[in-house]
Amino acid sequence: MTTSTTTVTGAPELSLAQQGVKLGRWMTLPTQLLLVFIFAFPGAMIIYVSMSWWGPLDGVPWYYAYESLNWFDNYAELLEDERFWGSMWRTFIIMIVVVPVEFFLGLGLAILFVDNFALKRVFYSVLLMPMMVVPAVAGYMFYILFQSNGPINQLLSLITGYEIDLVWLSDPDNAFIAIMVADIWQWTPLMFLILLAGLLGVPEDQLKAATLLGANWGQKFWRIALPKMRIVMVIALVIRAVEAFKLFDVMYVMTKGGPGVATETISVYIYKVTFLELEWSYVSAIGFAVLMFLTALGGIGIAILANAQKKRLADVVD
Amino acid sequence: MTATNRLWFEAMRYTLIVAALIIFLIPIAWMATLAFKPVAEWTTAISEITWLPKNPTLGNFEFIFTGETDEVVITLPNTATRPIFASLVVASLSTLLAVVVGTLGAYGVSRFGVGKNLPLSVLQLRLFPPMAVMIPVMMMWSYLALVDTFWGLSLIYGIVTLPFSFWLMKTFFDEVPREIEEAALVEGCSQWRVFYRVTIPMVKAPLATTVLFVFILNWSDYIIALLLTRKDWVTIPVYMNSLNTAMTGEMYGAKAAMGLIAAIPPVVLGIIIQKHLVRGLTFGALKQ
Repeated sequence: MTTSTTTVTGAPELSLAQQGVKLGRWMTLPTQLLLVFIFAFPGAMIIYVSMSWWGPLDGVPWYYAYESLNWFDNYAELLEDERFWGSMWRTFIIMIVVVPVEFFLGLGLAILFVDNFALKRVFYSVLLMPMMVVPAVAGYMFYILFQSNGPINQLLSLITGYEIDLVWLSDPDNAFIAIMVADIWQWTPLMFLILLAGLLGVPEDQLKAATLLGANWGQKFWRIALPKMRIVMVIALVIRAVEAFKLFDVMYVMTKGGPGVATETISVYIYKVTFLELEWSYVSAIGFAVLMFLTALGGIGIAILANAQKKRLADVVD
Repeated sequence: MTATNRLWFEAMRYTLIVAALIIFLIPIAWMATLAFKPVAEWTTAISEITWLPKNPTLGNFEFIFTGETDEVVITLPNTATRPIFASLVVASLSTLLAVVVGTLGAYGVSRFGVGKNLPLSVLQLRLFPPMAVMIPVMMMWSYLALVDTFWGLSLIYGIVTLPFSFWLMKTFFDEVPREIEEAALVEGCSQWRVFYRVTIPMVKAPLATTVLFVFILNWSDYIIALLLTRKDWVTIPVYMNSLNTAMTGEMYGAKAAMGLIAAIPPVVLGIIIQKHLVRGLTFGALKQ
């Protein structure tokens, strides 16, 4: 596969490539403008404030933060902050459990939905519903569902035949499971949606050709669909990983980070430091550190993606 | 595939899908029935709460839309009408902003190789923990007099969901076979016309997916709206959170009713968009 800029040669066509670059600049301009708009001031302010002790109760505006300049004391404090590392660790655990589960459930469902069958549209709409429930509401629903005498335990008792009265939200381990269940419930439909769009993009004629050549279902999936979907899969995983890292609404309503700090994720920790402890300079330091950490992760993700794209191009050349 | 195999496969398919549907529907069913329960049925001990309302009532809906109902002594200062309107306006505008800007930018990067660092910068936008960045954004918004305005809220939503539209569309543009575009270029079509006459129709399904996803994110955000609205443009999730009083505690029934109403626009959008989610014939147009 070649790009339009390399297939054409010669004097008049060269201007076509130049036209392309010119049009490309215009097309990316709005994105660039929005990025500058949102990064310039908040970015500068966060870095500046993070190097001071300034807080909203100081009685001076933020630009006087230099009066209590401390350079990197906030960052040094961060390194030794057990609550910070604990919340990072918990967030990470949630992410590595929840994202693969959602991915495989979503992929499985997407495979079931590739070809047409009766009631497909109805099933499709209903499957997407969890995603459409406002997270804060979903939080309230799960809060009630997971009470010790609540519906979840009633259902479990009904299914297993034993009397089950698990304590969910006030037991550290079970609370952790409960918020993961809520997250998987809400975001599996998104995986399903993206992966189905990816599956539908697999060229039908290639699948037909493979069928004619006697390929079975598994071969068609592994040899044709999967390589074509690699990039969509990485994107779906990255999007969910980033969002899982920022998990807040649903679980804050369910547990408020408790019991104790058992389900305190990084977002909940930042929220508490911002609005309960009012240490805004420390929050800025945390924010900046987390951004750097995630940027490194994102950079790795993008490298993997570029690699997958190269492989994909190589496949096409074959 | 033999007929028996086919039958087995279909049976499996329906069993799995129905199982998934039941699990997915449990919390939604809970919300839906809760919305029709009178106050007494959700203030009792949780073990006494039944799945179906014993005395179904529309009191919860009456309460959020008129501000009062016979069942509770309190009255609401604000009804749900204005927040619903605010949410519709803000979510639509911001989705438009994010999808248009993101699609244009993604095409520019994907086709013409401009802005090599743009993908990572756009991603960074989403990597920032929203809590940490909200303090400077709140200040910036108040300097620019954008607090509690629909354009201010639409702008920030458009910006925070831009990474999704940009990345999803970039992925799909990368996947579109370029031979068709090249053919159109050779025919003398301008590059801009190729983009909106040839490429956009080919990515209809992904575009529909992106619109739906971005809309849902904008529609359901809670924390940004909480910090950037005061009274005129309070959105549904923020309004919902105000549905509690010192006297009655959390108004679960009213919240469930509001939640049920809040699910309508995304569901309607999903149904509208569904017809675009079919396998594009375009790929077949290409002889490979």
